[in-house]
Amino acid sequence: MLSHKKPPNIVEIQNVSYRRGKRAIFDGLNMNIPRGAVCAVMGPSGTGKTTLLNLITGQLLPNDGAVLFDGRAVCPCSRHGLYDMRRQIGVLFQDGALLTDLNVYENVAFPLREHTRLSELLIRQIVLMRLHSVGLRAAWQRMPSELSGGMARRVGLARALVMDPKLIIYDEPFTGLDPIAVGVILRLIRHTNDVLGITSIVVTHDVAEAEMLADLIFLISEGKVVASGSPAEMQQKDSAMVQQFMQGLADGPVPFHYPGASYADQLQTMSRP
Amino acid sequence: MTRSLRDCWVSFGQFAATFGSFQMFSLRLLPYLPKAFLRPRLITDQIYSLGALSLVLIMFGGFFVGTVLALQSYSTLVEFGQVDALGAFASEALVRELGPVVAALLFAGRAGSAVASEVGLMRATNQLAAMELMAVDPMQRVIVPRFIAGVISVPLLAAIFCTMGVLGAYLVGVHLLGVDVGAFWSHIQDRVDLVDDVGSGLFKSFVFGISASLMGVYEGYNAAPNASGVSRAATRTVVITSVWILLFDFVLTGMTMPGV
Repeated sequence: MLSHKKPPNIVEIQNVSYRRGKRAIFDGLNMNIPRGAVCAVMGPSGTGKTTLLNLITGQLLPNDGAVLFDGRAVCPCSRHGLYDMRRQIGVLFQDGALLTDLNVYENVAFPLREHTRLSELLIRQIVLMRLHSVGLRAAWQRMPSELSGGMARRVGLARALVMDPKLIIYDEPFTGLDPIAVGVILRLIRHTNDVLGITSIVVTHDVAEAEMLADLIFLISEGKVVASGSPAEMQQKDSAMVQQFMQGLADGPVPFHYPGASYADQLQTMSRP
Repeated sequence: MTRSLRDCWVSFGQFAATFGSFQMFSLRLLPYLPKAFLRPRLITDQIYSLGALSLVLIMFGGFFVGTVLALQSYSTLVEFGQVDALGAFASEALVRELGPVVAALLFAGRAGSAVASEVGLMRATNQLAAMELMAVDPMQRVIVPRFIAGVISVPLLAAIFCTMGVLGAYLVGVHLLGVDVGAFWSHIQDRVDLVDDVGSGLFKSFVFGISASLMGVYEGYNAAPNASGVSRAATRTVVITSVWILLFDFVLTGMTMPGV
């Protein structure tokens, strides 16, 4: 009897290099996302966290190396294969990215209507169940413009979950939210991950939230993973880069001043007629 | 001098790149067209928002173009003693030229710019990216239904424009200027040919519909994802479509005019 053993890592990033023009965003990036974990991807602004998500979802193709999802290479060369893979991934955008001409109910039902031939009765049951799980069942008639930022993200989460994905990717889910909404989203990410047995990748700048939420934190800088481990392990790391990021220090390996000529040189240069 | 030449070369390069990108976009659209008719609801929704919601503007425009045409032509026709031909004169001008051209220009201003803004805003707010990540092709779901709706709407709007124009010419010619009602309609019946005049007018408006819709969806789809990008897409849609319509009108008139 053949056994179809699932790979232990749902996403494997193997020696990936990605360049935008002459600038190398990633240079030999390696990262494994274990199945069932909540993983936080962190790093200073401009290090390519969103680019990493685009590589995982096949929106971008690496110049070198490979990205594997569930044991298969992510390849944008075949639209059919790519769309098959994307049906197994849910993505929550920073602002929810709800379709503005559809109400909450229709937004959540949208992937079901596009990809399945379920009866209206079944679609209603699934949509209401997902909306109930994010606490917005009663808001089903509202339009996206009538929702707060936190509510829009919760609807986005319900929509991301509606096709029962294996992996959910959250792009900056806490940005711009009040503390109550942050708490709600935190609880929903953890709860959803554990109850549905899926894997979550959370791209975030928020160290406190990441420590509360994640099983594993990856810190990316200058195109590589500079540190990874559990939140407790990350706090113990000696690396100046890790400490600057985890403690939120203004100066360190990531300098406060944008690199350039010295202050004195610039004053002299600019005062010349 | 060198700088001017370099600027010209850069501008030519940009034009060539944009033109190439537009060609590629148009070719990419083609395979989606037959499949779009499997979901007619997406098309009819867009026909409502692009076509039906343009009706008031088109009817208003058509009516007043007809009235002005009647007033202008009356003073000339009266000199030649051909006042009875006012209906035929106005109808032929409307059906062959003014109807398709002005209706398409009004459509580009109202609906073409709306499509460019809507699609551009969908790009700016990540809605198109979200569709891609939900394994839904935005070309199939968003672009093609709007394109087809525009192509269907413009000839219908042009026909309504012409009808309202003839009605305007009738009211001014017959009730204001005293042209004989029987002569007005019988001259139209004699002069306006179904194939040569109405057919060529509809063909023109079909071509103009393709131009206006294609430019609207292209500019919106390729808009820079910010406020100025969206507004630029809307403006470019109106400007480029208007130039295209006038250019195509000259070419098509030359092709369809008997004896040219």
